[in-house]
Amino acid sequence: MGTDRYAYQSRLRRVSPMPKLLLTAVTLVVCLCCDSVAVGLFTLVGMGVLVTALGGLSPRVYLHFLKIPLVFLAVGCITIVAGSYPAGTEMVAALPVGDRLWGFTAGGLWLGGRIFCKALGTIGCMYFLALNTPVTDLTMALEKLHVPRLLVELMELIYRFIFVLSETAANIRTAQDSRLGYQGFRRSVSSLGMLASMVFLRAWRKADRIYTALESRGYTGSLATLTDAYRPGWGLLPLTALAAAGQMAVWFVEGRLLP
Amino acid sequence: MRHLTANQTVRAGAVLVGLLGLLTMGASAMHIAEGMLPVGWAIGWGAVCVPFLVAGFFAIKKKIDQAPRAKILLAMCGAFAFVLSALKIPSVSGSCSHPTGVGLGAILFGPLVMTVLGLIVLLFQALLLAHGGLTTLGANTFSMAIAGPIVSWLVYQLLRKAKAPAAVSVFAAAALGDLFTYVVTSVQLGVVNGGMVKFLTIFAVTQIPLAIAEGLLTVVVFNVLEKYSRTELQELRVL
Repeated sequence: MGTDRYAYQSRLRRVSPMPKLLLTAVTLVVCLCCDSVAVGLFTLVGMGVLVTALGGLSPRVYLHFLKIPLVFLAVGCITIVAGSYPAGTEMVAALPVGDRLWGFTAGGLWLGGRIFCKALGTIGCMYFLALNTPVTDLTMALEKLHVPRLLVELMELIYRFIFVLSETAANIRTAQDSRLGYQGFRRSVSSLGMLASMVFLRAWRKADRIYTALESRGYTGSLATLTDAYRPGWGLLPLTALAAAGQMAVWFVEGRLLP
Repeated sequence: MRHLTANQTVRAGAVLVGLLGLLTMGASAMHIAEGMLPVGWAIGWGAVCVPFLVAGFFAIKKKIDQAPRAKILLAMCGAFAFVLSALKIPSVSGSCSHPTGVGLGAILFGPLVMTVLGLIVLLFQALLLAHGGLTTLGANTFSMAIAGPIVSWLVYQLLRKAKAPAAVSVFAAAALGDLFTYVVTSVQLGVVNGGMVKFLTIFAVTQIPLAIAEGLLTVVVFNVLEKYSRTELQELRVL
């Protein structure tokens, strides 16, 4: 599902999740703190290079994944950029509505662009983690970081059940669709409601059966698993420093060029 | 409006229609994307969530200590919330969106449990589907796993106390919880760079039809559940 499929195919899959988490966290924080167009774009490209060169992901897939959050970003940024201003304001492009001007000012465009680029950079950082680390590895890492055991266990169980339930939901959806269940609004709502409640019911009963199965195998309240044998991935540490240094360098250069 | 020529009116109308078209495209954008919030706000919203999460965590712990079976059930509920939010909901305005599941979750599981389940679901949505993000996890958790469910739950409890019909209470709880989630999201986006009114207007235009659709959907879900799974619903009261 989503990024997970590619995470399992990544060449960094066997590398311990810790250095990957560190790289993501450091570049993410630096990118967010610098708050500049150049650093955002640099981070985006840099993470693309890391994901494709180290992880072995095809660039096309990376670009495809970048498209997904664009909708969320566009809505956020357009509302920042566009606005109504009193007549006489200096505008880049505007349309008069009543006695006010609707459109973009240079300042607004600059602000929107900066937020957009910064957000793209941070999305690149997040993808480095998501496209190279399967969730199961991540939960192991969280446990090492002393996140409460119960929370981690819930995460592991939820992660597993997501796939079970979405398969159920997809099957029901196909069955309904093939019987013209999604023709028109009324029927769609009733079909979807039926689907949601049936998925809930099945989830509930399945949970019951899983618990019975677990108990008959000596379940005492926690699911203990062994950690995988990871490669330590020391090589990622200097890379983290390098990436952060690159971001800072870009930041300084941009600060010099744009007074 | 006195000096407006016909030409200007047409142009203004065209702009508005264009904007509306764009907005229905992003109608499902209830998550705040990664990197949209500055560091201060990201940390701030995260901090606001902490007490709710701690309370939710201990509520879950207590339930699991009493009945170990609850852990598997809660995990199933979390997965159900994730799958629900991945479904496409038909909308009156013609666009498609995803249900938030805020109202359904809050009514079924209670707001405290929803905080923790919501956090996990949002984390998975950020990592697996790129909806939301790591730095905006706090803000998204507050709007979708704390504020929305609390409103839904309160509305539901109040209407049930007031002896309103079940369908009405479920509809109002789901629709209002949905709307409140969007209000919180627009406030979160608006306080950073201004333009809260803009965000609220957009959400009002795009989200009210969606909230109504989600309300109707939740009523249908409840009717089916009441018919076929009375025992499970009764168990939930004690869960």
